[in-house]
Amino acid sequence: MILGLALLSGCDREAREVRGKPLPETAVAAQTSTLFPGGGSAGPEDPRAEMYAENAYHISEGGRLYRQMNCVGCHANGGGGMGPALMDDQWRYGGRMDQIVASIDQGRPNGMPSWRGKLTPTQMWQLAAYVRTLSANVPKDAAPSRNDTMSNIYPRTLAEPEPPSASDPAGAKGPAR
Amino acid sequence: MSKATQAGMGGGLLLLTGCAGVQSIAPSGGAHTAAFNNLFVIFLVVCGFFYLLVIGFLGAAILRRRREGDTGVPMLFRAWVALVSVSLVGLAFASWLTDRAMASYSEQGSPVRVRLTANQWWWDVTYFGASHSEDIRTANELHLPVGRPALIELKSNDVIHSFWVPNLAGKQDLIPGRTGDIALLPRKSGVFRGQCAEFCGAQHAHMALTVIVEPEAQFRAWSRRQLATARTPTTAQQLAGMAYVTTRECATCHAIAGTSASASVGPDLTHVASRSTIAAGTLPMGRGGLYAWIADPQGVKPGAHMPYIGLEARELDAVVAYLESLK
Amino acid sequence: MRWRMRACVMAALAIWPAMQARAQGNGTDDGQWVMPAHDYASTRFSRLDQINRGNVGQLKIAFTFSTGLLKGHEAAPLVVGSTMYIVTPFPNYLYALDLNRPGAPLKWKYDPKPAAASQGVACCDVVNRGAAYANGRIFFNTLDDYTVAVDAETGAEVWRTKLGDINLGETMTMAPLVADGKVLVGNSGGEMGVRGWLTALDAGTGKIVWRAWSTGPDKDVLIGPDFKPYYAMDRGKDLGVKTWPPEAWKIGGGNVWGWISYDPELKLVYYGTGNPGPWNPDQRPGDNKWTAGIFARDVTTGQARWYYQFSPHDLFDHDGINEQILITMKVNGKPRKVLLRAERNGYFYVMDRVTGQVIAADPYGNVNASLGVDLKTGRLIPNPDKVTTQGKVVRGICPASPGMKDWNPAAFSPRTGLVYIPHMNLCMDYGAMEANYIAGTPYVGADVKMYAGPGGNRGVFTAWDPGARKAVWEIKEDLPLWSGALVTAGDVVFYGTMDGWFKALDATNGKLLWQFKAGSGIIGQPISYRAPDGKQHIAVLAGVGGWAGAVVAGGLDPRDPTAALGFAGATADLPGKTTGGGMLYDFVLP
Repeated sequence: MILGLALLSGCDREAREVRGKPLPETAVAAQTSTLFPGGGSAGPEDPRAEMYAENAYHISEGGRLYRQMNCVGCHANGGGGMGPALMDDQWRYGGRMDQIVASIDQGRPNGMPSWRGKLTPTQMWQLAAYVRTLSANVPKDAAPSRNDTMSNIYPRTLAEPEPPSASDPAGAKGPAR
Repeated sequence: MSKATQAGMGGGLLLLTGCAGVQSIAPSGGAHTAAFNNLFVIFLVVCGFFYLLVIGFLGAAILRRRREGDTGVPMLFRAWVALVSVSLVGLAFASWLTDRAMASYSEQGSPVRVRLTANQWWWDVTYFGASHSEDIRTANELHLPVGRPALIELKSNDVIHSFWVPNLAGKQDLIPGRTGDIALLPRKSGVFRGQCAEFCGAQHAHMALTVIVEPEAQFRAWSRRQLATARTPTTAQQLAGMAYVTTRECATCHAIAGTSASASVGPDLTHVASRSTIAAGTLPMGRGGLYAWIADPQGVKPGAHMPYIGLEARELDAVVAYLESLK
Repeated sequence: MRWRMRACVMAALAIWPAMQARAQGNGTDDGQWVMPAHDYASTRFSRLDQINRGNVGQLKIAFTFSTGLLKGHEAAPLVVGSTMYIVTPFPNYLYALDLNRPGAPLKWKYDPKPAAASQGVACCDVVNRGAAYANGRIFFNTLDDYTVAVDAETGAEVWRTKLGDINLGETMTMAPLVADGKVLVGNSGGEMGVRGWLTALDAGTGKIVWRAWSTGPDKDVLIGPDFKPYYAMDRGKDLGVKTWPPEAWKIGGGNVWGWISYDPELKLVYYGTGNPGPWNPDQRPGDNKWTAGIFARDVTTGQARWYYQFSPHDLFDHDGINEQILITMKVNGKPRKVLLRAERNGYFYVMDRVTGQVIAADPYGNVNASLGVDLKTGRLIPNPDKVTTQGKVVRGICPASPGMKDWNPAAFSPRTGLVYIPHMNLCMDYGAMEANYIAGTPYVGADVKMYAGPGGNRGVFTAWDPGARKAVWEIKEDLPLWSGALVTAGDVVFYGTMDGWFKALDATNGKLLWQFKAGSGIIGQPISYRAPDGKQHIAVLAGVGGWAGAVVAGGLDPRDPTAALGFAGATADLPGKTTGGGMLYDFVLP
């Protein structure tokens, strides 16, 4: 009996941080280059990434925004179109959570619009978390195994993960967008 | 309506006096509810009569033992079977008549055609005009003229919801991927409350619909106002608010006719200040409600899709001033 | 059943093809190629006959030229005098090659320096469909909404006019037409909620003479007292507003990104309007005038003369922008000025170009999206089983969104009387969903997945007899056909495939006479010209891309069949068959 109770105590409901981490300024300064003259690295990831990346609520909200904010119009369901594919291992400006947020926030010169002032920082983080599911780079218990809406795509959790490629060759697939 | 049913209904109402109000089946603001109430009263009277009769027989049976030499079916029993049969047929007939009557209401006069799309957690309302260029888009509020049927098309954008305005009619589900419909025939003016009647997520309770039944002339005046594009702001503060709303976060979800904001994810804001509530009946419309809702939507309605934006005080003042002007 | 009845009625109207088209305007057979369609009538027919059915098999490379770009090359080269001009996809370089010297070396290069960000609002690859030449100037459009006039001799910019705004999702990809001293251009952006227009610029100064919008009130659409549409469905005041929900016409599409033809005798220009936006039809109840239809306009004033809507309340992204071939043809024994159009919705239209009457409309492939065209009312009859609606996936719709034939133009030979149509055989599943308008972002609202139609072949090359109203012969192609066609007086017809084969067929029976494997898939428009040495040449740009080839040009991931608005589903095997790379190939007899 006591053992049973002890086991149940682990069954906390996942917290829904509906307000996100409301920092008005988008404090994202992720570097997107992998070249550091004289050596170095891109540094540790923004601490907020963890809170969003493995949270089913944020991933699901990100999925809703991905369709409603028209990301799907350019990037399709991960395969790309007007914009590059998001389901493969090629990340022109980095595939880390904070790098994806930086791309959404700042925009990119070859056609990615800047969403600063159009989306809130919380929404950008949620979108980044969802974008990571397209290449199956989130825990299987956080990403849904079926889609909430009708769709022509294979459930992401059933796909093999495609971690961002180590060489990270921006523009490996045609000129950078 | 016969004297008897009126009397019966009076008795029924007496029982239901606790339930009167903007969200109640008793006062019968709509033809469908009225018809249903009549049927209910007939059932109540007939079934009540039989109930008392059966109780009476049961008492008699306990008091009186079987006599020697009784054979065959007693006359009283035959009469009893006949009475029950006739009553059942009568009730079935009454149900059928009520059903026919309800079906005919949608043909009484030229109908108002409306599409109601349920979202988590608000109602998107489209009125179909004579041509589509006269369609009206609003949210969380249904204006209906007295005495004219309203044919409502029901759709859902996400999960199953249910449309229920108890004063006017019964429930009808809104199912994603399917188009349902319901007909209403409001019989008296008033403000009624509708409510999502199928659990649809965290804010199911905050998914109300205000139904305003008004005389034809008032309804037409309202339609005309709704069809107009948004009022152009006059004060500097309102203009600053307009600039924010039409170019920043707001415009990625909301539409304001006459401006560049044409998004359709959130409620149409063209005449937002003419509505009586904010966020599907969560807050009353007004300066206080607008401030509370825009400053901290997740505090007011946790989980709602309206995001926390973090406006500065000056921006918040301007946005509220602008939205308040959208009568 | 109704369709069959109509077919019988129409069969009673005997129609015979005239055996000659009247080449119109300045695009005659002087051996030059001064506009992508060769002439104002858009025949893409060359009167040069050195290369014929007997010797085409000996064609050899004369020279090649690399554009240095990896995107889709849809343009037709131009040849004026002894210079060849090539306009490339973004960044829209204009190259001039000197045909007087061996190997046709580069004479000059003009770089308009378009904004890089415009690539992000160009639906379906950053293509350009060609330039036009008149009075010593080359005119073309840049992706970021400029029309540019360049001195054909020196490559110096003469004028440039900004016509649109990329922040609203507007781009320009079409080839201008120069007529009556005006440069006619239109915008793209039917997938971005852009309101379409056709604009006439003064060829001398670049000033806007008139602009005709495709939606909105009559004064914006340039509809006045001269407007006399043939069918009742197109008559009425301010239909560009009344056939839309309030405000929706402002973001309703109808873009003019295709082809313009011109009849100098009638002084009328003909052009089609694109799809209504968004693709989700439930967000725009009504007929959505004046999208997915064809306008005839007075070239001087821009005033509309007639209009006909191919797809009222379009349900499938069936733009109406395809080319119109202007010929004179005998109908019921009487010669009539007609307009031929292999339309995206799957019907081959023969229309009276004076009145706008539809004389015939017959399917030239597998069509189940509609049940036919009612020739009494002019209206397309929708198939109730294939009506797309929000929240539902409708399966097995043929033709798919790019239609039976997309922008890639057909050719007409007055010698054979046949229209040579490079087209597709694709079907699709279409799931409409709510689209959210945010200026400068996609406004589509549809999850689409395309695949090969009945028979399994994705492309078809059809020779259509407009008089007999049937196909004379057809060639099945594995991949969708996205290149234009060319036919010559030597009775040879040319087209390219997406895996890089450039083919020459016998124009009378479709027999393959010659083929050449280019370095990349061909989606360009072949041309034929007489070089300064007096020899007939054939030239074509290779370089796969466009909507059909976006999966290669954009480096898309074909595991997602909805990529490239659903086209990746139909061309998932393309990355294994070809790679990008723009190259001009020029052929000549040894």
